[in-house]
Amino acid sequence: MAIIGLPYKYLKRLTGTDHETILARLPMIGSEVERQETDHADVEFFPDRPDLFSVEGVARAMRGFLDIETGLPRYTVKPSGIKFTIDPNLAAIRPYLGSAIIRNLSFDEESILSIMGLQEALHWAVGRGRSKVAIGIHDLDTIKPPFHYIASPRSRKFIPLDFERELSMDEILEKHPKGRDYAKIVKDFPLFPLIIDNENNVCSFPPIINGERTRVTTRTKNILLDTTGTDKKAVQVAVNIICTAMAETGAAIESVEIDGVQTPLLAPVERIVSVRECCDLIGVELPATEIANLLEKMRFGAQPVGRDTVKVQVPCYRADIMHDWDIFEDVAIAYGYDKFAVEISPTFAIGRAHPVYTIAAQVRGILTGLGYLEMMPFTLTNERVLYDAMQRERSSRVLSLMHPISEEQTVVRTDILPLLLEMLQVNKPRELPQRLFATGDVIEDMRTTQRLAAASIHLNADLSEAYACTDAVLRELSITYIVQESKDPAFIDGRRGDIIAGGKKVGVFGEIHPAVLNAFDLEHPVAAFELDLRAVPGYPYL
Amino acid sequence: MAELTQNEKRLLAALVKEHKADAPHLATLLDTTPEAVIQWAHLLEDKGLVRHERMVDKTFIYTDEGKEYLKHGLPETQLLKFIRNDTPLVELQKHAAFRIGFGQLRKKGLISVNNGVVLKVGEPSTADDEAALKNPRAGGQRTKDLIKRGILQETESVQNTVSIQPEGLALAKQGLDLREETGTLTRDQILTGEWKNLNLRRYDIAKLPRRVYPGKTHPYQRLIEEMRQILLEMGFTEIYGDIVQSSFWNFDALFQPQDHPAREMQDTFYLKEQAPLPTGWEKVRDMHERGGETSSTGWGGTWNKKKAEQCVLRTHTTSLSIQHLAANPNPPVKAFCISRVYRREAIDPTHTPEFEQLEGIVMDKGVSFRHLLGYLKEFYGRMGFEDVRFRPAYFPYTEPSVEPEIYVDGLGWVEMGGAGIFREEVTAPWGITYPVLAWGLGVSRVAMLKLGLKDLRLLYRSDIEWIRESPVHRDQKVTKGGRK
Repeated sequence: MAIIGLPYKYLKRLTGTDHETILARLPMIGSEVERQETDHADVEFFPDRPDLFSVEGVARAMRGFLDIETGLPRYTVKPSGIKFTIDPNLAAIRPYLGSAIIRNLSFDEESILSIMGLQEALHWAVGRGRSKVAIGIHDLDTIKPPFHYIASPRSRKFIPLDFERELSMDEILEKHPKGRDYAKIVKDFPLFPLIIDNENNVCSFPPIINGERTRVTTRTKNILLDTTGTDKKAVQVAVNIICTAMAETGAAIESVEIDGVQTPLLAPVERIVSVRECCDLIGVELPATEIANLLEKMRFGAQPVGRDTVKVQVPCYRADIMHDWDIFEDVAIAYGYDKFAVEISPTFAIGRAHPVYTIAAQVRGILTGLGYLEMMPFTLTNERVLYDAMQRERSSRVLSLMHPISEEQTVVRTDILPLLLEMLQVNKPRELPQRLFATGDVIEDMRTTQRLAAASIHLNADLSEAYACTDAVLRELSITYIVQESKDPAFIDGRRGDIIAGGKKVGVFGEIHPAVLNAFDLEHPVAAFELDLRAVPGYPYL
Repeated sequence: MAELTQNEKRLLAALVKEHKADAPHLATLLDTTPEAVIQWAHLLEDKGLVRHERMVDKTFIYTDEGKEYLKHGLPETQLLKFIRNDTPLVELQKHAAFRIGFGQLRKKGLISVNNGVVLKVGEPSTADDEAALKNPRAGGQRTKDLIKRGILQETESVQNTVSIQPEGLALAKQGLDLREETGTLTRDQILTGEWKNLNLRRYDIAKLPRRVYPGKTHPYQRLIEEMRQILLEMGFTEIYGDIVQSSFWNFDALFQPQDHPAREMQDTFYLKEQAPLPTGWEKVRDMHERGGETSSTGWGGTWNKKKAEQCVLRTHTTSLSIQHLAANPNPPVKAFCISRVYRREAIDPTHTPEFEQLEGIVMDKGVSFRHLLGYLKEFYGRMGFEDVRFRPAYFPYTEPSVEPEIYVDGLGWVEMGGAGIFREEVTAPWGITYPVLAWGLGVSRVAMLKLGLKDLRLLYRSDIEWIRESPVHRDQKVTKGGRK
């Protein structure tokens, strides 16, 4: 999500209407007003609408939405006569280039910040942090065309933005803040991308930093825009968004010749869409003329063709239109999400609970019937709690996270009982007796299965209690079982049993070993058990 | 007026006669111990019917040694009588009182020894000590010495007196039923009919008993059950699936591009393990690269099979929904799931790395965006949120997309989940030809609202006091039930 600052005065100048009206309707185009200050508002837009990441873009959209100026915005582009060459050695490094010349600008501090804001927002939304697209803006009058996008030796020196002396490109990656931030995008290449003018002055080192020479100031009147990157579409869309935003302020856009082709053209893309498909998707019956009308409010060009189709011109700055349905969403937005006559569909189906959850609900019933309180501990834990504190051997079959967020969550639990003992520890100050249970997922060898664990702590908790409870639960779940002496080190030797059902060990019960009590800082005996719910007859997935 | 126990009544009756008496005397009268009398007296005193006074007297008693000295004088006194002006020490040692008396006389500076001869110092006298022995005084220095020497012992003598008050007399005048009372009935008394002759003790119902707490499901689980119930009643089938999913099902099948920020290791828990791709995976690849057979442009670029095989802890329940649809491509499908999902987020009061998410999908011929808004209104309405409004939104796998907002007293309009129609790029690879309506929400957030919690962590690291005190049936208007 990108947050854009919208100054009221400027917004009014661009739209011709007051900011209260605009802010009231802005959410209905797809945004959230974060805060309203005395002179501006901060608004959040979604990452699929980078064309709204500037006041100019917002104003353009709202003029349509509020019926002030509808239809496709038209931008004229004259050839500048300037050429921009691409070094074929960049093909494996950073192959795509977009560019434009923008003239007749009048910058004040606010508008410089605005265009830099747009640049950064585009880097984030479209550029994936500059790797897909990086944007450079240069004072045109400080450099001489034609311009060259080359693959340069890493040792090449120039004065980067904000610095006073020359650094080599390698040094910039180490010493310049932007160099450190984005070094990983280029550092493994033998040559670095570089944009120079005809007199070998450095304009920029994409995607890292511009040269100090071409710094944009309040005196800048004309701009060279460059976009470079690894995605051809993204590179072009970035140019389109910036050029059209600047054109909204009255600047003149001129194209540049790259590889014999004039660019940008800022021309719309045409699509022919089906009226039937649109009405079926959004659930409102609209004739072709109305659909065209609504699309014009969203700044598309749209003309009905007969009764069944609409010809649509998609503005060059709309990065999000990939499929006909993207256009239909705009029809719905223009129609107004608050205008729909909502009702559920007549789809008939009979509800059915999943057996895993039905069994879980029964288990809860049994344990609450025995007076136990339910806990819902985390499934993420660590090996100290899961194994060491339980005196159990660490298992190699436990699922580990590749990049844990903390030492406390490094693996997914294979048992629930350790987490339950942790819950007893958390509740030490509370009145005894405490009887807690938990049922839920564990992961063994990547498969998710369900367990039940229960623990009872008080002055007289003992094996009898653990056994009686376990027996009650197994009876209520219709599990036929036998008991064998257990070797589980979490329990006291001579006070522990393995539950065997269907010839397999499905659980364990007993009195918790005092070393384990110490590890969890517990002060009274604990009677506990754990059961694998796959032992329940009729359990799915075996 | 609270009920008196039988013992209280007996004590009160005794005091009507005695008016004022000490505890031992009353104990004898009532055939009990003085301690019991004091207990009953307190109960009566609480009701303002008697007054209990406790006086503590410090007294002294003589040890056996002390009794001896009282008769014959202190050892130093006895020894002193024996000493003339120059008694040889060896002579003195024959005296019975020498052992203690000698040391005392020396200590008090009454005698001195020179060359085996004992001499008196001045006009020695033990009269003051004798006086202290006969009449010990609390706090006196000589008395303290005698106590130290084990001759005297200090004791407290406590006297408890109980006296009847006017209110007590008045009550007694009304008549006291002194018949023996029965507490718990025995089997015999019930069967034989003996109960008809018994005076059943009255218990004080103003006194609250010790609290009993039933076993309970977790308050959060109860909320989840409410939501399950709503969806089952609306005809939805519950789905369930593994926590571990391949990136293919978690991201790629949902048309999330392989360079999407959410797929970065900062936001998702990646695992070392790989999973094989399902049959038909090529269609998803084609969809990403060129938009498949649909009107889509796709994302372009080259789709990486290895990336799709990488396993993750599922980041949303949508990964289960798409698998359910792939296995059930024919309409109608109404399915839901409420289960745990994982995001790589540090634990703080509003974020946990694992939390519950709810997802509902409807696939049918002729369903539309209008119906999706209808399901949202219906579902939130049944959850108790009557005021719902809709705002355009964006999710990578839905188009159109919508964000429902609900009105909460005190908070205003709160965003609650997201919804949309699955993009054709998501459904086409599995041969699904009808629209799929989908909506989801973070259940933990709803729980915080409904359970009045400020800290998300309390759902998973719960204070059992909170569980004990959370009523199973919530009165939506009042915060706490129980006796006023």
